[in-house]
Amino acid sequence: MTTIVVAEDDKLISGSLCDALKAAGYNPVPAYDGEEAVAKCKEAAPNLLLLDIMMPKLDGISVLWELKANPATANVPVVVLTNIGDVETISKIVEAGAVDYLLKSDQSVDDIIQKVKDVLARSVKLA
Amino acid sequence: MLAVVLIGYIYSSMRERKFLRQEASQSLELQQKVYQAQVLKEISERIGYSLDTAKIIDIITSSLGNLLSYDTVAYMLIEEDGRVMFKCHVENTVSHGFIEQVKEKMLLSFAAILDKKMPAQSVDESITGNILDDNKKISVQSFFNLPVVISGRLVGMINVASGEAGRYGDEQASILYAITNQAATAVSKLQAVLENEKGKLSAVIYSLTDGVIMVNPENRLMVYNPAVQKLFGLPDQKTPTIFDIVDGLAGKLDIRTKIEQALAQDQPVVAQDVYLKDKALEMGFSPVKTAQGEKLGVSVVFHDITTEKTLEKTRQEFTAMMVHELRAPLTAVRWSSESLLKNLAAAQGADAAKIKDTVVTIETASNNMLELVNDLLDVAKIEAGKFELNAQDYDLVEVMKDQVRAFTPQATAKHLQLNLAAPEKLTAKFDRVRISQVLGNLISNAIKYTDSGQIDLSLRADQANKQLVISVKDTGIGVAHEDVAQLFSKFKQLQSGDRSRKGTGLGLVVSRGIIEAHGGKIWAESPGENLGSTFYFSLPLA
Repeated sequence: MTTIVVAEDDKLISGSLCDALKAAGYNPVPAYDGEEAVAKCKEAAPNLLLLDIMMPKLDGISVLWELKANPATANVPVVVLTNIGDVETISKIVEAGAVDYLLKSDQSVDDIIQKVKDVLARSVKLA
Repeated sequence: MLAVVLIGYIYSSMRERKFLRQEASQSLELQQKVYQAQVLKEISERIGYSLDTAKIIDIITSSLGNLLSYDTVAYMLIEEDGRVMFKCHVENTVSHGFIEQVKEKMLLSFAAILDKKMPAQSVDESITGNILDDNKKISVQSFFNLPVVISGRLVGMINVASGEAGRYGDEQASILYAITNQAATAVSKLQAVLENEKGKLSAVIYSLTDGVIMVNPENRLMVYNPAVQKLFGLPDQKTPTIFDIVDGLAGKLDIRTKIEQALAQDQPVVAQDVYLKDKALEMGFSPVKTAQGEKLGVSVVFHDITTEKTLEKTRQEFTAMMVHELRAPLTAVRWSSESLLKNLAAAQGADAAKIKDTVVTIETASNNMLELVNDLLDVAKIEAGKFELNAQDYDLVEVMKDQVRAFTPQATAKHLQLNLAAPEKLTAKFDRVRISQVLGNLISNAIKYTDSGQIDLSLRADQANKQLVISVKDTGIGVAHEDVAQLFSKFKQLQSGDRSRKGTGLGLVVSRGIIEAHGGKIWAESPGENLGSTFYFSLPLA
């Protein structure tokens, strides 16, 4: 089963997202802060990480750097889901090696599921 | 103070002196006085605000025609390089020899005053007026010299000469003396004013908080102020050079290129956001020119914008946080509605439990959003000074009990005790809704930032200071000493390591506005991080 770590500190958002992923046939693993996200990625070896930026303990950018620095997690594709849309943050996200980024409030859950499918299909081809 | 002194010397041969006119009629005297006044007026108008000695003497000598009769009027000026400028106006045709005589007499006079010989070859001469005719065999028969001494230094000499003997006596010399003296007085006053203005200008530049330098077109530092020395950490005793400034900028900006640019384009050039080690600067380069357009160099102003930049950054961070905080509940509402719709349209029939969950999510997110928007509106009202209170007599103990009741479930969920120590009843005049809001804010913060222990509310009447003091004490994460003062200011949500208890920090800003509107004070104390904190507010007793 395709495992997706959902790093999102807002329980309401995390809940909606996990429900939708489950409904689409994936295995969502929620992580409620940055440190938990890194731990879950090591532990669950997910096929994809959906990553928030503003999170407690460790922000999303730092999570990205940590994952990229560790060979065990370096290849996990990361899609950033954020509500901070400023250019500086976006460039940091891209620089840190995220596959894509989405502005949460601009997307419907269906858009996000579609994005997950696309990214997974691409990474399978690469693999 | 510069003084302009004019000394009159009359050189006249003894045999000419006996022709002093004793029979000058009253009317002639009067006529000459009128001329004198006219010449003075003309001179003062033409001199204007000039401080150019050559120009002034030129104007004086060219105005003498009405007052004196002469064949030539000449002046000599000693220039800075020691050369002598000789200018002679020929009124009536004379020979070259006549002019040579004039020159010789003037140089002799110079030599007498300066007590050294003036070499004739260092004279640059220019002759204007009537043509010269060497057939005219007249020599200088009468003349007088009037040395011009400015600030104790001989700068020049005026000479009036005639081929006719006995032309000039004390009277003529004194007329010219009066004129020159008047002009000199005007110049002296003007110089004093200029010195004064220059002094003021220097004082202004000296006391500016912005660094200011001026460099000449050869990149030499002509002017600098203490702010520049301070900015680049240059020693007070040493006169800085342009290289000190170049070093100070540490390659962050090529100052010499900017200076050249300002000179070449003949207009101001600005360098924005120059980031040094611990400072942000804005630099303005302006060409410095005289009124006549002569380029004197470039002035450079170093404006320290570190504070502005820090504020701008804080504001940006605040905006980013607000955007995030506002979008998060909206996202939750949107996604939940979407899932709700899907659930309701599901072929196998709607799942009632799931629908309930989703609606609860929507409600919670909406409440969060509403709270945030209300806080923002309150802050706006406080900032606009339009914060209105509905103050009545209420029992504050009752209000506190209500809040304790309302927050007990939240506290219990975190295994925290919520205690209240207060008298039976304490009536005061306040806005019940607003004070409840402050209490609610302080209690919810205490719960949010405390993981174990208890929260103690207390109320006491401080009769000595005619006030009520309310405190909310927790055993939570506390506040670092240096951050306590910033808790109640906008844009200052503390970026502590632990962001799990996130919030906008606006609640405290609003609370402060409410308490201050009541005429009270709000403050916090904390022994340090992880040592708990106590928030206080006071309300005046009527």
